[in-house]
Amino acid sequence: MTSTDSLGVMHGIRNVKVVKSLLANNDLVAEANRQTFAAHGVLAINIIASPGAGKTSAIIRLIQALEGRARIAVIEGDIAGSIDTEKVLAAGAADAVQINTGGGCHLEASMIQQALDDLDLGQAELLIIENVGNLICPNYWKLGEQLRLCLASTAEGHDKPLKYPDVFAASDVIVINKSDLAELVDFDRKIFIELVRALNEHAPIFEISCRSGAGVAELAEWLLAQRG
Amino acid sequence: MHELSIMASLLDVAEEHARAAGAQKVLSIHVVVGERSSFVDDSLLFYFDALTPGRLAEGAKLVIRRTPMRFYCQTCERDYTPPMNSFRCPTCNTTGRLQDDGNACYLEHMEIET
Repeated sequence: MTSTDSLGVMHGIRNVKVVKSLLANNDLVAEANRQTFAAHGVLAINIIASPGAGKTSAIIRLIQALEGRARIAVIEGDIAGSIDTEKVLAAGAADAVQINTGGGCHLEASMIQQALDDLDLGQAELLIIENVGNLICPNYWKLGEQLRLCLASTAEGHDKPLKYPDVFAASDVIVINKSDLAELVDFDRKIFIELVRALNEHAPIFEISCRSGAGVAELAEWLLAQRG
Repeated sequence: MHELSIMASLLDVAEEHARAAGAQKVLSIHVVVGERSSFVDDSLLFYFDALTPGRLAEGAKLVIRRTPMRFYCQTCERDYTPPMNSFRCPTCNTTGRLQDDGNACYLEHMEIET
């Protein structure tokens, strides 16, 4: 449907094919972040987990496990407060920056880009980004990380992958925390692993306990090896 | 909450493409959103209406097409959409290969006035 106005310009209604991710603008910034990480030789890991799964405890365990071999910088994403930043710095993080989303339920690439201004990447081999505790939307907003780590805990139940398939499908590594609680909370690891494998054939699955430290060394070694 | 960010991002992408196509006005925006994504229709529409005034897409209609999660069953040799409580094939109870995780999230096409 077209018409021509008095100046001879065609007017009409047109269909424009786009086929572009709604996150396209975020993805551009994520790519810039990825280049920054690469330029510093830093492996960036985005940890996605529910509240209470043990993200901060896992980061602290990893810092301790790699002490003397690799330094870890941390970006802490939280709705409010800086408790976690203080904790990881006390545990020996190379540097740490807090991002408060002020109620926002996920981190976005632009927030990371801004945080990088205040973070000394030259001091670190690994950068761990602790996303806001949430298994849903953090999965959509890439941050520029080279590795996406999904952390689940036995106490949340073995059906987590069924309820939140996207994060398990899109992660490069799956970690089950609180392995020491498995029996107490009737966590069926066979079911959990079967559900993860239906979504993700290749991601390694690590079982750890941040309480006892079991399994942390294996995870730390694997992460370090990914830096290449 | 995340619907707000996603709609803000959608409008940026839509406006960029609409301008490039010489649009005076955007009449409708068609998005594809997976059934297993966490984006809720009512919330998407609410934020879309809240964000469009004063922009090229003011008054435009947001059309949401939902796509299901799909697995391919090697035994039955066909695709299936799993029920909410299992990833197994409803016919033979084996677990197929994931084809689509049901999390699509993209702008498919737009109707514009030039």
